[in-house]
Amino acid sequence: MNAPFPFGFPLPTAFYLTLYVLTLVIHVLFVSYALAGTGYLAAVHFLPGHPSAPRHKGPAAQTLRDWMPLGLSGAITAGVAPLLFIQILYQRSFYTANLLLFHRWMAILPVLIAGFYLLYLLKSRRAAEGPAWRGGALALAAWLCFAFTGYSWTENHLLSLQPGAWPAFFGAGSYFFWTAALLPRLSLWAAGTIPVMALLVCWQLWLGGVGSPAEVRRLAALALLGLLLSALAAAGYGTLLPPGAREFASGGAGAPYLGLALIGWMFQAGIWLTFWSKPDLRPGLLAAASAGALLSVLGMTVLREGVRLASLPVERLYALHEQAARVGGLGVFLFFFVLNAALVGWCVVLARKGGAPEGAKPSPGKEEDFREALERR
Amino acid sequence: MEFPYYPINDFGPAMKGMIIGGLGIFHVFLAQFAIGGGMLMCYFQWLSQTGREPAAREALDGYFKFLVLVSFVTGALTGVGMWFTAIQISPRTIGMMVEEFHWIWATEWTFFCLEIAAGYAYYRHGAGLSDPARMRLLVLYSVAAWFSLFWVNGILSWQLTPGGWAPGGNVWAGFFNPSFWPSLLYRTFASTSIAALVACVVVNAHPRLSLAQRDAVIHRAAHFLIPMVLMPFLGLWYLYTLPPDSRAWALGGSAAMTLFTGVAAGASLFVGLYALIGLNLQRLTINGATATLLLGLAFVATGGGEFVREGVRKPYTIRAALFSNSIKPDEIAELRRIGSVTRDPYPLRDAARYPNDQVRLGAKVFRFQCSVCHTLSGANGLVHLAGTWTPDQMRLNIAKLQQTKPFMPPFSGTADELEALVQMIAWAKAGSPSEWPSSNEIATIVQIDRWLQEAGISPGWYRERKQ
Repeated sequence: MNAPFPFGFPLPTAFYLTLYVLTLVIHVLFVSYALAGTGYLAAVHFLPGHPSAPRHKGPAAQTLRDWMPLGLSGAITAGVAPLLFIQILYQRSFYTANLLLFHRWMAILPVLIAGFYLLYLLKSRRAAEGPAWRGGALALAAWLCFAFTGYSWTENHLLSLQPGAWPAFFGAGSYFFWTAALLPRLSLWAAGTIPVMALLVCWQLWLGGVGSPAEVRRLAALALLGLLLSALAAAGYGTLLPPGAREFASGGAGAPYLGLALIGWMFQAGIWLTFWSKPDLRPGLLAAASAGALLSVLGMTVLREGVRLASLPVERLYALHEQAARVGGLGVFLFFFVLNAALVGWCVVLARKGGAPEGAKPSPGKEEDFREALERR
Repeated sequence: MEFPYYPINDFGPAMKGMIIGGLGIFHVFLAQFAIGGGMLMCYFQWLSQTGREPAAREALDGYFKFLVLVSFVTGALTGVGMWFTAIQISPRTIGMMVEEFHWIWATEWTFFCLEIAAGYAYYRHGAGLSDPARMRLLVLYSVAAWFSLFWVNGILSWQLTPGGWAPGGNVWAGFFNPSFWPSLLYRTFASTSIAALVACVVVNAHPRLSLAQRDAVIHRAAHFLIPMVLMPFLGLWYLYTLPPDSRAWALGGSAAMTLFTGVAAGASLFVGLYALIGLNLQRLTINGATATLLLGLAFVATGGGEFVREGVRKPYTIRAALFSNSIKPDEIAELRRIGSVTRDPYPLRDAARYPNDQVRLGAKVFRFQCSVCHTLSGANGLVHLAGTWTPDQMRLNIAKLQQTKPFMPPFSGTADELEALVQMIAWAKAGSPSEWPSSNEIATIVQIDRWLQEAGISPGWYRERKQ
């Protein structure tokens, strides 16, 4: 297969693959915010720095704390679309991995619910104004919940790629799947969330006009660290790839995306270095870093899919994809997709420009707290 | 033919139906609360902004926080959880639903996104917005929530009454199926009722409302219970649209289904009468404890209704397309010829505990054909159901399963597999001894084969109708 992804596949397969990859990219952006964001919050609570300007009361931490429930809600909502398309593309392998991991896999549901409520607790006045360890413990517990979920997805994905191992795994009654690729792959995705989170927070700080040089420099350093770690993990993971997957990445199908991921990585590294040396949030640079991050995430997502496509007998699935593509409803979906996207935009407009009633009281416990906190600083 | 075997998990003494049913009822209740809650909040906003009920605004903001904490978190995640749980219970069922209706689900997802966006916009900024902006956000939220119901309702009702749909056929023929409209309307009014009852609980617990204000707001919320008068008629309409066999299970044909139909109807009736006579006509006050009790009854009614909706589909999970044990009608003949578990690649996890190969084969047959609805000796256990039968009774009853119990699918294996299943049940009934003789009489297998041929491969109800 030498045509760039997804052009080497029959049209229905290419269509669903494209939808899957694009929706997964959006999901990854939200996941990055939630995972790396809670990690950041835990770190700054336990390492608060100078008492006169504790890191956990800085604008970045306040912003993250305030927006984290929405970030996680976005991750879950955005995760529904790729979850739908993966069932069309790889139904049997995906379902089998789910079944094999059984209780271990299903545990992500209560764990995510617990993590979600922890984010609301983290936002509460009691946590914000209490001792740093309290907020740190909440953030760390939430991070553990999300890290467990990420680990479970990685495990599920890797197990789904090894049909030959399924009967023995089932027979052994094991609920944990260990393979050498697990840690580097998990590290790659976990490290990759850091620069994305840093970027999103920088945008929020810029929009709120509250980014201090020290915070920007800290976020830049973190993003650089994330980029470095993700590169190391990618190199480690690359050495463990089966020949077919390596062929995909280096051949006509995957090489353009590998190139995009590398270009995006370098772009981001250059811009974060700039921010580190001159911590002034300029929208042009942020936009360029965003483009770089998108390229990297898109490239890596396609390469991830390439590994799967090289591991499974995908030709046998073409007929199923063709059959799925024949069912009706696409037109209705597209109509409502456009309409509802516009309405989501209108919601944002209403929220920002909806006009305050005369004598309206500010809403307690939300962004007003944040502004007050900033003013106190 | 390549049958798609999946690993089948064991839930111990619990029936798999209990697992998905429990989560499903919980999720449906939360989802209906979110749908009705949106409409109720629009009503409260209107009462507030038109000056008809000044306390409605305070109640609305308190209610909304509760809704966010319950529905946006647990409701959303149990929704995703339903997919994962459905995979655990019956991957072929959820797979077929996704294959046929993925654009409907994708459409529903766009409404879910709108619901989340409007909800969070209101949550973060609602208190500081003008009344028209608040109302617009609430209307967007409630319309999106209701449309989520609209789309999902089409898929769920299709499972029971696919109407003119055929596999790979017109998706809209399946979506707008015979029970679509009664089910949609019934669920809509169930949603408004649940929302009103939750409001009674939340308002009673609101610290900033005086007693008089609470009463006033609760009586406004009680208006959302009035549509309950239509629910009996909608229920009858729904029953009318069901296939005759399914309707029969709910109305006397199956003790469990009839009992749960009665529970759902009785609990709904009690809530409805209290709401109409007590709250709306007599204008009685209702405290938090009573409101919680009524909400509990509404949960029971929801649970009973969902149990019946799931149960009366038997012997199918998708009517006429997929049996409850995930075997398609057109696969039975082949499985009877080659054996249902001959090509099953997944070994028994506890093979050593069985005394011989025949019982091991029986255990695999049980896992493949029976375990989705039965345990061996736990809930709905085969030992309890069939353990007192003589071996010949078991052979006959299982060979002619769809006629023994018309809500059971036909047995889908060879005569040898059936005999192995009989031996496995008898062995379990005997206390799972370490020694157990194999039964290998040719005459027994020939007799089972004859019974299987007599039973045929059509579902029992169809056969009865034909005769």
